[in-house]
Amino acid sequence: MANPEDFKTRLKIAKSKIKNQMLLEKDKKGSFMGSAFKLGTELVAAVGVGTIIGFILDSWFGTKPWLIIIFFFLGAAAGMLNVIRVANKMQKDD
Amino acid sequence: MASNPMQQFTVYKIGPEIKIAGVDLSFTNASLFMVLSAAIIVTFLYFGSRERKIIPSKIQLITEMLYNFVAKMISDTAGSKAKPYFPFIFCLFIFVLICNMVGMLPYSFTVTSHIIVTLIMALFIFVAVTIIGFVKHGFKYLNIFIPSGVPAVLLPLITIIEIISYLSRPVSLSVRLFANMMAGHTMLKVFGGFVVSLGILGGWLPLSFSVALTGLEILVAFLQAYVFAILTCIYLNDALNLHH
Repeated sequence: MANPEDFKTRLKIAKSKIKNQMLLEKDKKGSFMGSAFKLGTELVAAVGVGTIIGFILDSWFGTKPWLIIIFFFLGAAAGMLNVIRVANKMQKDD
Repeated sequence: MASNPMQQFTVYKIGPEIKIAGVDLSFTNASLFMVLSAAIIVTFLYFGSRERKIIPSKIQLITEMLYNFVAKMISDTAGSKAKPYFPFIFCLFIFVLICNMVGMLPYSFTVTSHIIVTLIMALFIFVAVTIIGFVKHGFKYLNIFIPSGVPAVLLPLITIIEIISYLSRPVSLSVRLFANMMAGHTMLKVFGGFVVSLGILGGWLPLSFSVALTGLEILVAFLQAYVFAILTCIYLNDALNLHH
């Protein structure tokens, strides 16, 4: 026959363990290095895609170098938009 | 001793050259390590799910933790509508994870450090998400390019920016994984080269760096697999639940 007092303390210890575990998981969620890499590539990728689109459109319409310049800046704008969105999402998560 | 830090990324053929309709389909070391990773996953999950005990063995416990981890990630980021896509995201996550981890073993080859591998995965996700969006919402899916509350004068400009932003998704997804893996492995090799060139007197400092970097790389390997999977969930969420 198990001692009821003993069971209660064991339950208490187990519950506090689960609580600690959950707190630990919450801390891990915002891994800073991951977020930094995410923001960096987000910005660069959009600039790259914008420039490539500009390059392709230029060779289609024969309007070198104008569209590549325009789409470079549009790509930079899209990159900033991406970064703002990701940053907003990060703030919401915290 | 290989002194060139980029030599670890060379792809070479194993066995005979196979050409089908002008396309080179030879078995390379990259294919070998992909097959190896897949084999590890299959054996691991097979033994993990073979005996379904109430009190799980260690391997069953890890398998269940993996399952719960991915299931929670999907329900947190993409909601209950994304449940049917669980198998796909689970496969993606565990494949990237095991490929990264196998790459951490000495003398092995890191499949995910090649942009063609990560780009194909990212493009597949991108095309699949776009198709899912169009199937679920029809042409209303195009509304994601038109944010609400924008003055009519700015609308064409904003739409172009939104389209570029949408198209940059697979690029950022693949470049992130590939760049992290390649940079980390190159750095490990460079520090390893320092150990050799400084010899027994000065080699201890880069050696300790190398040990620390290995730990960091294991963290990055896990983190990048996680980020890859969670971004897939986020894109899926955009396709399933239109917000704009």
